[in-house]
Amino acid sequence: MTRGYYWLVTGLSIPAFIWLVPTLWMVSLSFQPNDVLARTTSSTAFGLVPIPFTAENYADLFAFGQTPWWFLNSLIVSTGMTLGVLAVSTTAGYALARLDFPFKRTVIAVCLVGLMVPEQAVFIPLYTMFADFGWHNSYHALILPRMAVPIGVFLMLQFFRAIPHDIEEAARLDGVGWLRIFWYIMLPLARPAMMTLAILTFLYAWNDYLWPLVSAQQRDYYTITLGLASIQSNFAQSEGLGRVMASGVIASLPVVILFLIFQRYVVQAMTAGGSKG
Amino acid sequence: MRSRRAAQLSQRQAALLLLVPFLATYALFLVYPFFRGVWISMHDWNLLAVAFNPDAKEFVGLRNYERVMWGEDIEWGLAAPLWQGLGLIGLALAAVLHRRSRVSRFNAIALGVVSLLLVVLPGFHPGEVGRWYDRRFWPTVGNTVLFVGLTVPGVTISALLLAAGMNRETRAMGILRTLFFLSQVLSVTVVTLIWQIMFSPRQGLIANITEVAGGTPINWLTDQQFAMAAIVIATVWWSLGIAMILFLAGLQDISSEIYEAAALDNARGPRAFWFITLPNLRRTITLVVVLQIILHFQVFGQSHLMTQGGPNDTTQVLVRYIYQTGFRDSELGRASAMAVFLFVIMGGFSVVQFIIGREKDE
Repeated sequence: MTRGYYWLVTGLSIPAFIWLVPTLWMVSLSFQPNDVLARTTSSTAFGLVPIPFTAENYADLFAFGQTPWWFLNSLIVSTGMTLGVLAVSTTAGYALARLDFPFKRTVIAVCLVGLMVPEQAVFIPLYTMFADFGWHNSYHALILPRMAVPIGVFLMLQFFRAIPHDIEEAARLDGVGWLRIFWYIMLPLARPAMMTLAILTFLYAWNDYLWPLVSAQQRDYYTITLGLASIQSNFAQSEGLGRVMASGVIASLPVVILFLIFQRYVVQAMTAGGSKG
Repeated sequence: MRSRRAAQLSQRQAALLLLVPFLATYALFLVYPFFRGVWISMHDWNLLAVAFNPDAKEFVGLRNYERVMWGEDIEWGLAAPLWQGLGLIGLALAAVLHRRSRVSRFNAIALGVVSLLLVVLPGFHPGEVGRWYDRRFWPTVGNTVLFVGLTVPGVTISALLLAAGMNRETRAMGILRTLFFLSQVLSVTVVTLIWQIMFSPRQGLIANITEVAGGTPINWLTDQQFAMAAIVIATVWWSLGIAMILFLAGLQDISSEIYEAAALDNARGPRAFWFITLPNLRRTITLVVVLQIILHFQVFGQSHLMTQGGPNDTTQVLVRYIYQTGFRDSELGRASAMAVFLFVIMGGFSVVQFIIGREKDE
């Protein structure tokens, strides 16, 4: 390695550290006592080091307040949405990529148009629809709209298209039906693509804000993202800064852990999601 | 063997069976709501009144669009010289770049259309006795455009520079990339929580540092001059990661031989970046810019949670206005008209994105 390389790493470490500071600060504040924070947020090293230290904020979080409940809601909604999206996307993606049927191109084109419709353009009619059905304040109201977004179908379609045809043909000659080919041959091959789609959906579900905001009006059905929004407007007075920051840390924990373990898939998922809507 | 075949589904039947779950949800929760949204936008539709009595809506045709976007005695002229001038420059740039074949015909047209809109749209203004029916709509659109106009270059330029610096497969670079990408996975409410307190003049980290340095803390979120800057900073911090990763992927496609050849001609560092990296990354840059425009035009949470659209409406953005008109003022008809407006703009950029994506595949 040349000297230039070390300068480069050093030079980039400074902005990287600055980038980390806000997150670090949230974590550090969450470990400081509320009465100290009410006086000053820069006890040690601008508050970036949690001295004086306390874990009380986290204990309080689980003893009072609805954060654990919201966390559970988020887990249920995100898992449900992920499974739902995987189910409809793998089946439709396989059919569109590998099976022959009339009007296939039309179906693909119709689905493609759906990529252009942003959530913000349909959330009002969806709201009135779900109100007519009496569906608001339920888990399925939070899950269903995302299952209609065709991005997953296209991710799977692209993947299935790239699989060589001879595997399928050999199975056909042995008299294996299409559904069995899908279930026993294609799905196991599609694991990496399914992983990417699962992570994309889970992240979306965990972080979604606008739809839960209009659909879940009872605090019992808040997701953690929505719940955090509801407590941050009056953070300092009611709950104490440290405790709100602890909620923020808890709300970020699953996605950050997911990111650190499956970094490659997360990056893939977010670029795929970003570049296709 | 034959009997087993007969029991199996034909290819068409299998396709139908596999497609139905998706197509049903797609039709019910995306296609139908979309058309229903257009339908709502053509009604006087009060959320609460219609909830109690489904007949309480009245068909008004395109009146909601008029009420949102038009006014009495509207004239056209050089009302906003800055924006319109920028549009004219854009038009000229599109023509010149295309003439000199620096950009494809398609890109030139896209740039031209955006510039033309910039020349035409800000030109409308009420005459002496006129007024807008909705005084807040166009300023809100303007704020949204301003937000996009500040965020997109901020994200693109910093992501491009960082990606160019980190384009090596070493462990140190891997860690740096992770650090820059980390904030991207946080939810919008965590981001606004962090930055609301970062910017707080009493408790904020920025204020604490300013005070130590001997300055007076700025009241970022409630000062008209700084509120927009504050939500832009938070957004750039949040969404740099994807752009950086897309650039890194684009950089992988540039062969190292080109750089080696250039190094022989003494083109290293900044010169290599300018003469080799930038031209080779042109399509990736366009793609990232279009993606960011689509993404950030839908900004909602930052404005809703950090500044509540204020101070004095300076950070009010389109989606937040739609949300408020619909769910605070209960005027679903007008809110839907704005949502259709949003869809038309986003749809335009999505088409651009789609065409760029296809160019890449070919």
